[in-house]
This record gives sequence, C-alpha cells and structure tokens, in this order.
Amino acid sequence: MAVLISLSLSDMLVTALVMGRMISPEYFSFLVPGIVTVGLFTAATDTGRRIWLALREGVVQYYMTLPIRTSGLVVAYIISGGLGGVVYSSALLIIASFAVHPQNILNTILLLPFMFVLATGIAGLAAFFASISRRGEIYWVYAQALQVSLVTISTIFYSAQTIARYLPGPIATIADYNPLSLAATALRDSVFNGQLLDTTVLSNLLATSLPLAALGALAYWVILRTLRLRGKP
Amino acid sequence: MNRVLNLAAFNIRVLLGDPTWFILSWALFALQLAIYGSLISRLVGSNLPNYFFFYSIGLMIIVVFESAEDVGRHFVEHAHEGELPYFLSLPVSRSGFLVAQAIYGVVNTLLKVAPPLLAVLFIWGNLTLAGALFALAALFLLGLGITGTMVSLSFIAFKAVDIYMAVLAGLSALLIRFSTVFYPLAVMPNYYSPVSVLSPLTYGADLTRWVLGFDPKYLLNPVLAAVVVTAIAVSTLSLSARIVDKIIEGVKAA
Repeated sequence: MAVLISLSLSDMLVTALVMGRMISPEYFSFLVPGIVTVGLFTAATDTGRRIWLALREGVVQYYMTLPIRTSGLVVAYIISGGLGGVVYSSALLIIASFAVHPQNILNTILLLPFMFVLATGIAGLAAFFASISRRGEIYWVYAQALQVSLVTISTIFYSAQTIARYLPGPIATIADYNPLSLAATALRDSVFNGQLLDTTVLSNLLATSLPLAALGALAYWVILRTLRLRGKP
Repeated sequence: MNRVLNLAAFNIRVLLGDPTWFILSWALFALQLAIYGSLISRLVGSNLPNYFFFYSIGLMIIVVFESAEDVGRHFVEHAHEGELPYFLSLPVSRSGFLVAQAIYGVVNTLLKVAPPLLAVLFIWGNLTLAGALFALAALFLLGLGITGTMVSLSFIAFKAVDIYMAVLAGLSALLIRFSTVFYPLAVMPNYYSPVSVLSPLTYGADLTRWVLGFDPKYLLNPVLAAVVVTAIAVSTLSLSARIVDKIIEGVKAA
C-alpha cells in the first residue's frame, strides 16, 4: 500500500506538476483525476496477482478446504478487489484534494459506488487473466499489456477531443468507452469542476464494468471447479 | 573464460526460448509511442520542440531500466528457487559468475532496445551507423550501471524478497520521476532539479539524446554525462562483484 501510494504521489506531485509546466497550468488539474483513476486500476488489478500466486503456490488448495462454497470464494475475491480499489482511490482523492480543490464533495460520495463497480470490473478482468495463465510468468505479460493498453488508450492523459482530432476514429471510440476514461471524466466533471453527475457517463461505466466483473468471476469459478473435480487446473 | 561463456550461453538460450517478453516489449513501445507520444508531443507543441523524439529516447531508457531490473530479479529468483547454490558449485569463479550474469543482461537489453531504436531512427530519417552504435553504447553503459545497482541491492532479498520488491518499486518510481527521462531539466521546478541530477537515468537519457543530435540546450553537458554513466557502471559492478564474492556464499533468499 505504501509503495502504491508513493507511486501515485510521485505521479501527482512530480510528473503532473512538471508536465503542467511544459503543457499548460490547467494540465495539472486535468491530470490529477486521471492519476486517481490509475491508482484505482493498480489497486484493483492486485486481485489478479493474488489469484495467480494462490494458483501457482497451491494456496488455493487450502482455500478449498474452507467451509465456504466455490461461488462464495469467487465473490469474495472480486469484492475484495473492488474494496481495495475504492479504499486506495479514496485515499488518493483526499491527498489530491490538497493539490486541486474539489468543487463538489457530495458528488465524490455519490461516485464511490460507481468507483466500486469499476474496481470490481477491473478486478474481474485481472482475475480472468490470472485464471487463464497456465504457463510460467505469462500472467505478467497479460497484466503489463492490459495496464499499458487500457491506460494509454484512454482520456487519462489527454482529452477525448485531442484523441478524436489526431488519431483514427476507432481508437477514439475505444478511448471513449474505456471504463478508465469514463471514471476519469466523471471525477473531472463532477468532483473537480462541480458539474452535475452525468447519468450517461455513469450508466456507461456500469455497462462496461459489470460484464468484466462477471467474466472474471466466471473464469475463476471454472478454474476452482476444475480443481475441485480433477485436482489440477 | 570458456566456462563463463558456456554459463552465459545457457542463460541466453533460456532467455531466447521464450520470445514473448521481447514481442511484448516491442509492441508496448510501439503503442506508447504511437498514441501517448504523438498526442503529448502535440500538446507540448513549441514549448519543447521535437518532444516526440525526446519522448521516444525516454521510452528507450525505460526499456533499458526494466531490462536491467530484470537481471537483478533473475539473480534473486535463482536464490529464491534454490538454483544459486547449484550455480555456485559450478567450476566457475564468483567473478566469472557475475560476468555471465552481465553478459546475459547485455543481450537481454540489446535485444529489447535495438529494434525500437533502429525503427525510431529510420522513421525519423536519422539512421546512421555511427549514431546507432554510439546510442547503443550509451544505453549499454547505462544498462550496466542499473544492473550493477540491482545486483548490489539483491542482498536485501536474502533477508526478505517482499522488501526487495518494495524497495525496487519505490526506487524505480523515484529514479524515473526525478530524472530527465520524460522532461528536460530546464522545465523542472528549482526544488526538483537538484534531486534529478542524482538520478543515473538523467545522465543516460541526456547522453543518448546528445549522441542522436537532440538540441543540446535542453541537455546536460555530454562529457559530464558520459563520465557519470561510466563511473556508475564501473562502481556498481565493482560493488556487486564484492557482494557476489563475500556475501553470497551459503545464502538463500527468505
């Protein structure tokens, strides 16, 4: 947790500050909500690492001896990913509020359940990749590819207008519907600019996050069930 | 020497046996350059002319850094998985063992960084044999310095692997953020620039940019950069040689 906080803090107080000097003073305020979203993403993907380690080191065998159903185990993992993401991003939001003054605190509280759903979606995606990683360190290939592609093709570092102006249409569309873009936009508009909550953005956030959570839960459940029946994944 | 080369060749064969990491590294480099690099360079505009090129070199420094970090992790994994005692029982001296690790690291770094470097220089219309060779030499020296640092830090892993990983993550964050990898010293606030001159990545990045003809007014003195990069490589490798020689015997990672 301390390492994650230090990474996000150095992103906020060093990278965002210097990039703000290089691009424009407003860029700092633009980037800070994006860094909070990246923090949520990083914390939520830790679920994948824990599942991968549990499968690799055989801890999962112990879990299966516990008096809890397989589906309960799956739901517990996904919820823990969601809670991890929300707790971490809330801590970052509090720190960020010292650097960029939030305009609407109530919106922050209203957004928390949506951030939780987003974090469960990301945890689900990480769980999916952890569950399908059978060979050596391949999970880290998926994890790195997922992180770089989701963060790069999003509106975390640049606005949707900038992407639409300079890059091909399909990339702009992917960036628009990327759940990280939706979360960053909701934070920027509703928390730091004080606008009303945009129901379209929030419903898109739910529509993109919930299937990912379901996909991850299903993949992990299949692995656990296979383990229970055959003794190996 | 033949035995050292045999050991290095064994490690390199294992490395080449799984090309996934190379393909991933090249693909992510291309993605970040094509999307992040092209968009941010437009946002930066005339505030830093040619930022796209500046960023592409920065991204190569990150590849070198991660690759060198990989060598340190590889070394620690040998200990963690119990292979280190086996390697130490081979009829190869401790310094020979370190040289084999260094050769493995150099091949790993060059394979990851050379194709992106050549591609960027070709696209930029700046591909010359001398430029590519000198840039690779600068990146190679930087890679050696980082490898030496990571191997030197591996003694932490002999106490606790988790602490080693945490130290590595924290150190990486600080070395990269407080350096000229993604922004020049000239645009940094005064209170950050003294910290940035302590990061070896600052010197490696500026030296590579200077070799490739980036505007020198945004860079450190190239002679100073070359001296510092060489000194870091020599000193950290000497330190890691002492660690391999004195501390490693009978050790197992916690």
